[in-house]
Amino acid sequence: MSIATGTDADHALRTTWLVARREIRLRVNTRAYRIITAILLIAVALAVVLPAVLASKSSAPDRIGVVGADTAAVSSLVTEAGRLAGGQAVAVTEPSLAAAEAALRSGTLSAVLVPGTEIIVKQVPLGGVSGPAANLAQLAGLSKLIQTVPGAATAVSHGVTLPVRGLEAQSAPLSSRITGLATVIIVWILISAFGSQIAMGIGEEKSSRVVEVLLSTVRPAQLLVGKVLGIGLLALGQAASMVAVFVIAGFAAGSDLVHGASLGVVVAGGVFIVVGYAFYCTAYAAAGSLVSRQSDVNSTILPVQLPLIVAYALSYTVLYSNGANTFYRVLGFLPPTAPVAMPVLYAAGDVPVWQVAVSAVLCAAGTVWMARIAARIYANSILRSGPRIGFRQAVKEARSALPD
Amino acid sequence: MTSLDLELDGLRRQYGSVTALDGLTFGVPAGQVFGFLGPNGAGKTTTMRAVFGVTALDAGEIRWRGRPADAAARRTFGYMPEERGLYPAMELLDQVDYFARLHGMDGPTATRAARHWIDRLGLSGRERSRIDALSHGNQQRAQLAVALVHDPQLLVLDEPFSGLDPGGIDDMSAILAERAAAGVTVLFSSHQLDLVEGLCEAVAIIHHGRLVVTGAVADLRRGDRPLLAVRVTDDRAAGWSAAVGPSVGTVDAVRADGTAEISLTSTADSQVVLDLARAAGPLEHFAFEDRPLSEVFRQATGASVGQAEAEHAASARTAEATTGAGR
Repeated sequence: MSIATGTDADHALRTTWLVARREIRLRVNTRAYRIITAILLIAVALAVVLPAVLASKSSAPDRIGVVGADTAAVSSLVTEAGRLAGGQAVAVTEPSLAAAEAALRSGTLSAVLVPGTEIIVKQVPLGGVSGPAANLAQLAGLSKLIQTVPGAATAVSHGVTLPVRGLEAQSAPLSSRITGLATVIIVWILISAFGSQIAMGIGEEKSSRVVEVLLSTVRPAQLLVGKVLGIGLLALGQAASMVAVFVIAGFAAGSDLVHGASLGVVVAGGVFIVVGYAFYCTAYAAAGSLVSRQSDVNSTILPVQLPLIVAYALSYTVLYSNGANTFYRVLGFLPPTAPVAMPVLYAAGDVPVWQVAVSAVLCAAGTVWMARIAARIYANSILRSGPRIGFRQAVKEARSALPD
Repeated sequence: MTSLDLELDGLRRQYGSVTALDGLTFGVPAGQVFGFLGPNGAGKTTTMRAVFGVTALDAGEIRWRGRPADAAARRTFGYMPEERGLYPAMELLDQVDYFARLHGMDGPTATRAARHWIDRLGLSGRERSRIDALSHGNQQRAQLAVALVHDPQLLVLDEPFSGLDPGGIDDMSAILAERAAAGVTVLFSSHQLDLVEGLCEAVAIIHHGRLVVTGAVADLRRGDRPLLAVRVTDDRAAGWSAAVGPSVGTVDAVRADGTAEISLTSTADSQVVLDLARAAGPLEHFAFEDRPLSEVFRQATGASVGQAEAEHAASARTAEATTGAGR
């Protein structure tokens, strides 16, 4: 009659989706969810737009030191380089290379031109220089070519640049580090906030005993997957809209955050929100299934959150220093800490892209392992009434329940 | 004999050192109200959970209409667990609708059915109330609506009468009888054996995870040794009954008003007892009586329901003390 027919697999999918749908509707319809989403999006927009607006207002001309040449002869090059970079640049005569480097270190100059030889900057950012110094290197390189090699004008179209030398070791630019900090804060907030919601929701189902009615028609795995899927889609939606706001606001405000390294950091953060959530969602579910009262949830999820808390707390030492220590590099590859640690390492310029990819793959593989253990803990504990179940006991029982 | 809809065959379940089910076997006829009775701790809840696959069995099989009960069969079952539970913060209509969908109903059908049962159970007007805003009695009704909303072929209710006031008991009884009349097989448990004897056509009584006795209520209460209640005027001690010989029957008890309860042997002639009583004085009362189900239980196990429950409570305390964990 009205009961739909279909294969068991169809029913399993349908049931899982029904569970997910309930989780989504339940939350999207609350005022708290809407307010928090709005606050997060506004915060991202402000973080992108404000620095760009402030920077454009206080745009004093870049001062380019010139060593060992007639300043008047190259000043047109400097001016043109500034114009090409969308700002202004003026040439300043420096008596010696040493004096020029001192001025560069103190910040009075933004670059030094040794015509025909090289450009010197304080520090070459990862990914190469940009702005007036880069343009200057190109223009000055051309001018050298044209002046010294007869008929070289034909070769100009190929582009010739002077080498750019940094006084200090190469490092990630500040904008990338700040973006990295903001990214790990968001990764950390999303995983722990939505993870806690999983644990709270399961704690509620268990303590209200509705789970027994549910399990009379839904398998524990369907209930678990539906729940983490529904809440996960919400987390993903929030993350995606934050990235969208970041990109849109960045282009609208002309922020340099949407070019180069910072954008890469945001993309890495997005990847690790997905794999990090996947790794942690089942662990939070298992933690939620151990309680008998919903108020116990906060204490059972603490062990789950600990690795993220450690990686998050230590992230500041990496972002504010030059070069991460070996310990933090190891954290970047361990699935429990990678979701926070790897975007930090990447933002600080301590790891190349391929290592980020390797870490993401390791984390995804760890997800499978975690899901197996957690699903067993969940299935073992969800119907058990009585006092809170200890973590060790739950893991032991889950292991003994593993098929040979 | 009517065909068996639900068959439980050799169910076994062990929790640590506690044996919850010990080879339990019985069948539930189609379209009847069937009472599943026994003292607390006899294994009723474990059995009902096993019907839904909520509890795994160590051994044994549960068959529905001749085939092992699988997920598809279970979607046509309705369940009201002993530990009542609904989502506290979810609105009534959404909740009933959600469970209808989980049982495979499509959206519009689910909503229609949810409204029907909310109405039928006297909850109209509360569709948008959160469950935790409903009174205790209305929460029980909501729970029943969840069990009934998908029009189940088998209705399993664990202690449906516990916590109900007399009016609620009448309402619940009426709904169970009505469902059975509509062709639904109704299985419900109770540890209050006598409360439900008027409602069920047949019962199974279990103890220590084993079947004690099963059959039609009328047959069980009559028994193979009919109970005769006889009272002679002014004989408060029923002294006359000493003359009843073992070939006729045994005097089980003498009530305060002097009524002797005599179990007749299967071959005895009740007229022999009548003659003995009339010889002793003017006869005040002479009737066959049905035994209460609690008496049927006592005769089958040698202990009263109260004793069985006290024994279970004591063993549960011991098990908890040795394992350090509740079930």
